[in-house]
Amino acid sequence: MAAEFLPAWPPAANSFILFGLVLLAGLIGGRIASRTRVLPSITGYIAIGFLLGPGVLGWLTEDALRDARIFVDISLGVVVFELGRRLDLQWVRHDRWLLPSGVAESLLSFCAMFALLRYFDIAPLEAAVAATVGVATAPAVVLLVAAELKAEGPVTRRALWHVALNNIIAMLGVALLLPFIEARDSGSPWNPTARALWLVAGSFLLGYLAFWVTRLVARFIGKSDAPQFVLIVGMIVLTVGLAQNGHLSVLLALLVFGVAVRNFDRAHHLIDIRFGHAARLFFIVLFVVTGATLRPDQFGPIAWIGLALVLVRLLGKAVALYLFASPARISIQQAATLSLALTPMAGLAIGMTQPIYDVAPEFGARLAAIVASGIAILHLIGPVATRYALVASGEGDSSELD
Amino acid sequence: MSSINEMLDFKSSQALTLGVELELQLVNTRDFNLAPDANDLLRRAADDVHAGELKPEITQSMIEINSGVHARYETLQSELRLTRDRLAAHARQMNVAIAGGGTHPFQKWKDRKIYPTERFLSVSDKYGFLAKQFTVFGQHVHIGCASADDAIYLTHALIRYVPHFVALSASSPFYQGVDTAFDSSRLSIVNTFPLAGTMPFVRDWHAFTEYFATMQGFGIVKSMKDFYWDVRPKPEFGTVEIRVCDTPLTVDRAAQIAAYAQALARMLWAARVDWIKPELYLVHGYNRFQAARHGLAGVLVDPATRASVSIADDIQNTLRQLAPHAAELASTGALDALATLVRDEGNDAAWLRRAFAARTTLPDVVREQSARWMEE
Repeated sequence: MAAEFLPAWPPAANSFILFGLVLLAGLIGGRIASRTRVLPSITGYIAIGFLLGPGVLGWLTEDALRDARIFVDISLGVVVFELGRRLDLQWVRHDRWLLPSGVAESLLSFCAMFALLRYFDIAPLEAAVAATVGVATAPAVVLLVAAELKAEGPVTRRALWHVALNNIIAMLGVALLLPFIEARDSGSPWNPTARALWLVAGSFLLGYLAFWVTRLVARFIGKSDAPQFVLIVGMIVLTVGLAQNGHLSVLLALLVFGVAVRNFDRAHHLIDIRFGHAARLFFIVLFVVTGATLRPDQFGPIAWIGLALVLVRLLGKAVALYLFASPARISIQQAATLSLALTPMAGLAIGMTQPIYDVAPEFGARLAAIVASGIAILHLIGPVATRYALVASGEGDSSELD
Repeated sequence: MSSINEMLDFKSSQALTLGVELELQLVNTRDFNLAPDANDLLRRAADDVHAGELKPEITQSMIEINSGVHARYETLQSELRLTRDRLAAHARQMNVAIAGGGTHPFQKWKDRKIYPTERFLSVSDKYGFLAKQFTVFGQHVHIGCASADDAIYLTHALIRYVPHFVALSASSPFYQGVDTAFDSSRLSIVNTFPLAGTMPFVRDWHAFTEYFATMQGFGIVKSMKDFYWDVRPKPEFGTVEIRVCDTPLTVDRAAQIAAYAQALARMLWAARVDWIKPELYLVHGYNRFQAARHGLAGVLVDPATRASVSIADDIQNTLRQLAPHAAELASTGALDALATLVRDEGNDAAWLRRAFAARTTLPDVVREQSARWMEE
């Protein structure tokens, strides 16, 4: 008979144990990946998640994944805010081909994916929503791969700008399509239109408000690193929470927050804080959890539809960037590496489709089935493609293990 | 020996013509750290029409403007302004900024990437960490010389005025994130190279050729480029090159400093001064340090009179002596601007310290210095 003061055997998992294990396992997986000098650490995080997740070993259960949700949401908040800070509106004024090439890249990849999905007899609305979601490039992947390679230069800078823009376009697109989805399920388009409006306008307002408060507090605390770091992280977490409670788009609100910090802080009260090692903790959890959502059957026979989706999407982006290369005065090699860097697809992982689940759960599930295999494949090749692109452009240093 | 003769064949040029090289910083517009965009900027600017040329420098966040050859300060100034406007337009289109200044205030040298040309890679191989630390930004002024012996004379005579050039151009008070207490911290970085310093006390070009052959015989130097001297003759251009200046915060200041050198050369050639003796070099290290450390407030020892005099006063005196020469060279405006600098506004190092005091962070300082260079 066991003494009562001893814990039960085997020990039951709790959130702390889980968080710690996810970090350790992710760290080791990431290290193995980066030692190959071909794969980025992200691939290691995702592979570990896939292995530990319900799809294979089942150590990370659905419950555990739900518990990890809070870390995932905070990391996404940080990522999207950081992305927003890369969207310099002044740049649009000085390079008048920048915005057109960004819009074209989004539009052409949308058309290519929409056409392909229609070819596979997917209903128009589903195809439109899936293609809209597909426009967005995964910000976390591009930011993290760039950080890992210490990549900086024209291709990296442009890539992040395009990622910011195609995310905004995709989010606005989803909001635009939302009334149609709901109208088809419930019949009346009025209420859903108001909802879409609330979603977009509310998210913009919340993002701007977050900026306004941040600037106000920054004026009070002054321009030192540590206090401003706490201020920004605090405001990100607060904004994530408010957006969730207000049924707003967390992503749009934080993106607007980041864009406002970059562009509207005219008197420069805010300094460019770095998330550094702290962010790494959250990113590992984010990608391990992302990996855990993958299922082996997504790589089965239907995978070739996903692969086709990935390819036409890349083609759409590449053609647009190639067409705009000459007027935008970027070289063909830059256009090629830029397109490749935009390969990772944000898709469902970053919660863009959350509003769709909110209004029409069944539609959301159907949508997930359509794009899931494409996204699954992109989880494998996306980070590798971005890494290859940034190294090939000469801006990322592949010799450095960070 | 034939290769030495070729290398040291002094191409005579029209006396008192002038040209400048300016090394510039490329910075990003987000945190205003250095940005490795030299290649892209050079590619974009390749189609522009320049009188001079654009070149890469040792690390990828640097570019160098070489002006054309000018007889007058005013045409040099307009060329530099035109080049600046073109480069600024390209930079804006790339979402980067260009700044003057002798150092980047807070970049970390270990983050720099060597620009991959054969010469720079060999410099990096030879000098190790010094190569990356050499991410500093200088202005070189060239003065055309009619003969090689004139160049040797001028190289010696200008040593007396090196503290003036250092103090007038100083724009590197901040380095690696700290206020160094120097007006020109850049100069100390140049000092670390084994062949930095000054030309030996040779009397004429013949003696110089012998000196060079000896150094080459030791296997220490291959070409004139290996000497990182404060002032050196440049036989392939037929010029004397003053290399102690920080890149000023504006192209106008760069042109004014070139005009100062031109007027000095005219005066020195006209006067054929009698104080060119080894003693000149005994005070040089001290004078140069005073200028780098204290700028215009430094004190130099005049090797001719042995008197200590403040650098600011010495420049004002020199400006008075130069007035007739400036009038001949149509550069009175440039010298007046330098007089105002010395009397009222202070050098660029003072401007940068004021910007830091007002703005409190170094990225803010870089934002302001790039806006100043790009004329925003």
